[in-house]
Amino acid sequence: MFCSQCGANNADNAMVCTQCGRSLRVGAPPLPVQQAPMVQVPAVPVQNYLVFAILVTVLCCLPAGIPAIVYAAQVNGKLQAGDMAGAQLASKNAKMWCMIAAGLGLAVGLIYGVLIAAGVLSNLNH
Amino acid sequence: MPYSRKNLLLAGMVAVFATSIAMLYFFDPATSGLFPPCPVRYLTGWYCPGCGSLRAMHQLLQGNLRAAWALNPLTVVLMPFLAYGTASYVLFQIRGKYLPRLFLPAVWIRALCAVIILFGIARNIPFHPFELLAPGGMLHP
Repeated sequence: MFCSQCGANNADNAMVCTQCGRSLRVGAPPLPVQQAPMVQVPAVPVQNYLVFAILVTVLCCLPAGIPAIVYAAQVNGKLQAGDMAGAQLASKNAKMWCMIAAGLGLAVGLIYGVLIAAGVLSNLNH
Repeated sequence: MPYSRKNLLLAGMVAVFATSIAMLYFFDPATSGLFPPCPVRYLTGWYCPGCGSLRAMHQLLQGNLRAAWALNPLTVVLMPFLAYGTASYVLFQIRGKYLPRLFLPAVWIRALCAVIILFGIARNIPFHPFELLAPGGMLHP
């Protein structure tokens, strides 16, 4: 006999379908569709730049990394909700704040480098 | 394309990264004056969540976990995650494949953000037990 749910061919005396598990007795209710797991990792990765955001915040002392972390959370939250477009927008913002923080860090580093060089030169003169 | 712009950029990043690690290993930011001071501390006089992190990295590279912990416990806690993320990124650039991705639910990232901000506030409170969180606070009880 053929299963009424998935169409698999089963032995005539079978109680349940070998393919999908539906009861083969007449009038049995169909099996409930399996629930998707709570947190699904999306197939297409969307960068959240979390590692970079933490690096600039904690290792480089730049509070501009904090908004980047907030946007990283948004990326993952929107991915969990299945909102692909929203995740990509948040990802862009996370990247932008990372760049701002990195630019600030570079500026501080350069100014410091110039000051050091100036200090060394003025020491040489004395 | 061995000399593509992307490869040159990658080589530059690896060079900067390796130089910083080597410099952090050989020179102590606490005494050498080679590393810039924390801009937040310099401008406002407050400790930020990252104050002491470079000194902590130096101590970690030298194998002094206790000293690193005293300078910036947050850095020590986050280091395995940062190392994994960085290794994954570098491997992706080389082999085109990430390490197994960690997918953190958004709640975790928000919690982490809160921890970083609260840590930054707490370490500025000038009395016990919060003063322990200031850079080096646990070294001089």
